Amino acid sequence: MLELKDICKVYNPGSVNEMCLFDKFNLTVDQGSFVSIVGSNGSGKTSMLNIICGTIPIDSGAVCINGKNMNSKKDFERYQTIGRVYQNPSMGTCPNMTILENMSLADNKGKSFGLSKGINRKHLNFYKEQLSVLGLGLENKMDTLVGALSGGQRQAVSLIMATLTPLDFLILDEHTAALDPKTAELIMELTDKVVREKHLTTMMVTHNLRYAVEYGDRLLMLDKGQIVLDKAGEAKKGISVEDILHLFNAISIECGN
Amino acid sequence: MMKMNMKKILCGAMGLMMCFSLAACGNGDNNDDKQQDGTEGKKYSIGISQYGEHASLDNCREGFLQGLKDAGLEEGKDFEVDYQNAGFDDNMTIQIGQNFSAKNVDMMVAVATNSATGCYAAAEDKNIPVIYTAINDPEAAGLTAGNATGTSDKLPVDAQLDLIRKLQPEAKTIGILYTTSEPNSVSTVADYQAKAADYGFTIEAVGVTAQAEVTQGADTLIKKGVDCFCNLTDNTVVGVLPSILEKTNEAGIPVYGSEVEQVKIGCVASAGIDYFELGRQTGAMAAKVLKGEATCDEIPFETITEYGIYLNNGALAEMQITVPSDIAEKAIVTDAE
Amino acid sequence: MLELAVSTVTQGLIFALLSYGVYITYKILDFPDLTVDGSFPLGAAVTAVLLVNECNPFLTLIVAAAVGALAGFCTGFIHVKLKVRDLLAGIITMTALFSINLQIAGSNLAVGRNVDTIFTNPFISGLLGNMPLLYRKLIVALVLALVVKITLDFYFKTKNGLLLRAVGDNDALVTTLAKDKGWVKILGLVIANSLVALAGAVVCHEQRSFAATMGTGQIVFGLATVIIGTTLFRKMSFVKGTTAVMVGSILYKICIQIAISLGLPPNLLKLITAVLFLVILVIGNMEKGMVRKHA
Repeated sequence: MLELKDICKVYNPGSVNEMCLFDKFNLTVDQGSFVSIVGSNGSGKTSMLNIICGTIPIDSGAVCINGKNMNSKKDFERYQTIGRVYQNPSMGTCPNMTILENMSLADNKGKSFGLSKGINRKHLNFYKEQLSVLGLGLENKMDTLVGALSGGQRQAVSLIMATLTPLDFLILDEHTAALDPKTAELIMELTDKVVREKHLTTMMVTHNLRYAVEYGDRLLMLDKGQIVLDKAGEAKKGISVEDILHLFNAISIECGN
Repeated sequence: MMKMNMKKILCGAMGLMMCFSLAACGNGDNNDDKQQDGTEGKKYSIGISQYGEHASLDNCREGFLQGLKDAGLEEGKDFEVDYQNAGFDDNMTIQIGQNFSAKNVDMMVAVATNSATGCYAAAEDKNIPVIYTAINDPEAAGLTAGNATGTSDKLPVDAQLDLIRKLQPEAKTIGILYTTSEPNSVSTVADYQAKAADYGFTIEAVGVTAQAEVTQGADTLIKKGVDCFCNLTDNTVVGVLPSILEKTNEAGIPVYGSEVEQVKIGCVASAGIDYFELGRQTGAMAAKVLKGEATCDEIPFETITEYGIYLNNGALAEMQITVPSDIAEKAIVTDAE
Repeated sequence: MLELAVSTVTQGLIFALLSYGVYITYKILDFPDLTVDGSFPLGAAVTAVLLVNECNPFLTLIVAAAVGALAGFCTGFIHVKLKVRDLLAGIITMTALFSINLQIAGSNLAVGRNVDTIFTNPFISGLLGNMPLLYRKLIVALVLALVVKITLDFYFKTKNGLLLRAVGDNDALVTTLAKDKGWVKILGLVIANSLVALAGAVVCHEQRSFAATMGTGQIVFGLATVIIGTTLFRKMSFVKGTTAVMVGSILYKICIQIAISLGLPPNLLKLITAVLFLVILVIGNMEKGMVRKHA
């Protein structure tokens, strides 16, 4: 379970560009839920993810995971139980290493990286099994450099790598935004499959309103650091893309756009 | 297509270089054969390894060749020179030494310490004599044992202090600019500080770390009211000597040089080394070794005992310094050209 | 001719140790590390002082590698913890080391011929019999270059080695693997500079001297050998990076020796090196189809 308690975040404090993004922001995400988050640019979606992961510091408030306060933990310490897939497919993999080496790295997440053999051949079949779920034939290209794969293939590998070890959270940061519509569709379906199979608590930021409506069991809309829409369960099922779009436009008009 | 062509060109270029190298090395071997065959009037091969192109070092090499000539050895007839300079690169000095060693030259001549080290190391288990010159401290450089000898270019601190005392009887403080990272300068400054009192001087030394700070350092010394400046063979400082002179001339403070080239630029006087003479002295030593009159271990390294006194009359007049007749007699006048 | 070939290859093998170090920082960490110009003479300075004080010659190599590691740590710490740009962090350490080297060994320090080095000590002499010094140097250098190469190849395959490669390839991934990328970078710099200092130590044994100026231009040499080596073997993926840079180092020394034999003026030589360097880089980039960030 994730709790964000009274989070305050001010960018560029004391300067003319001072901007208060979050003022006493609160959010609770239950174990096992799949939350889709939408919102316009600058609404605080990615900032929220970065605050959870510890990439950007907060001014006050608390980030709690499973009841434990994470404030004093550095980003890499929090990733012990958080998986993340980025918008840019090259962020989640090492391009100059083979698929096998990338999988081995991901497999060792959270353990010590000592002087034992880097590639465990005994796990080879496990890696292949995981990759075969994608249906892209990557399990037969274990010795190919990841840099030689297409963006979609790399993002698929990133997704598998991020979810290879047991996680408290999976964070998807506009992970389909850089892909063409067909590949994006494929990755989204794979995401859904992986999340269901592994029962992962997931937070997905997306600009694709259809994905937000179709996938996940809870929908959040953010605007200027505030939650303007929060529907879960049955209430979420009743929402259509048009409804969100309408709300979106209403906000934009308020802003004078 | 483009990249294939480029590759071919590169391969071609490399191949060509290899061929050249074989040809060049082949020639080298032939020369060796000739030398070994010629029993009478043997033509010596001399490898000269110079640290870099630099007026003083060049003078040194030219003086060396003159020294051989003075001893009756003629280039082309009695000896051949393979001249290499390392471009102030220590990796090059190593490879130049190895080149000479592999060619089994009759003598290696090293100009400056780092070149000497390279030659000396390359000859470790061979009996090739190493003659060095322009080395500040041959003992510290470990060149006093084995088949090696040569000359040191240690600055004549006493002679310089004596000269300043005679030209400026009233002077009290001498200003010295030096670079803290040039070890020769640091040790020479210490030498000056130790000996200054004997001549009734105090030393005001200002250390700089880069050429950009030199003129600032000159300003500091002028403000401190030094009676004169005294230069070392500090490359960083000497490199901007004209701009130092501009400031000192304005302030009416004479600057003493450490060698003849500096006096030519506009220093008033110097009791210093003439690197050409140093080279010539080295050449005389080398001739003895080549002719078999002595071996290196029989000739200890030499330091110049007789220093030249160089005067720049124009600069002296400008500073209103009168030169005592005993000095004027033995001095060489080298006014700015 | 044979003699010249032997001594040139020996130089190449000794300097391959430095090339391995630059390979780790430049190719693996993607970190332009200028510490090299300071850590190379540092290794030599420490070795010279120890040898003069009759230290066991093999022990000097270990000590030199250790102080080199410390130099690498300083650069890493300045970059990672004090948040100074990579290039500047290296320059700061390099500049500091220049003074430190002077403090350790003065401007020049010679090791007399009566002192045993790794090439002349009784153990090696006994092992290799009455072999001339020239060939003894070749064999010792070859053994050193190969032992370090094989150790590094082994290391790159360990979990830790994979992580090191990952941090240069994509440091964001290392963070999501729950590892502090800063420490991984520091570790890489530590390993690289210990190798560079080791190279300096071996050169000191071979030349029987230390000179404060001996570090100048070593980073350029290192980068050149890494680029020559890796570009030559780019299409042959079965050739390991360490092998490639070892060959690069030998080739570079051969090219210099050819230039000396041809009597090319060194001032021109630097220009030729620069042009050759550029040509190789451009070819490398054309093959890759993109320009590296740090090229």
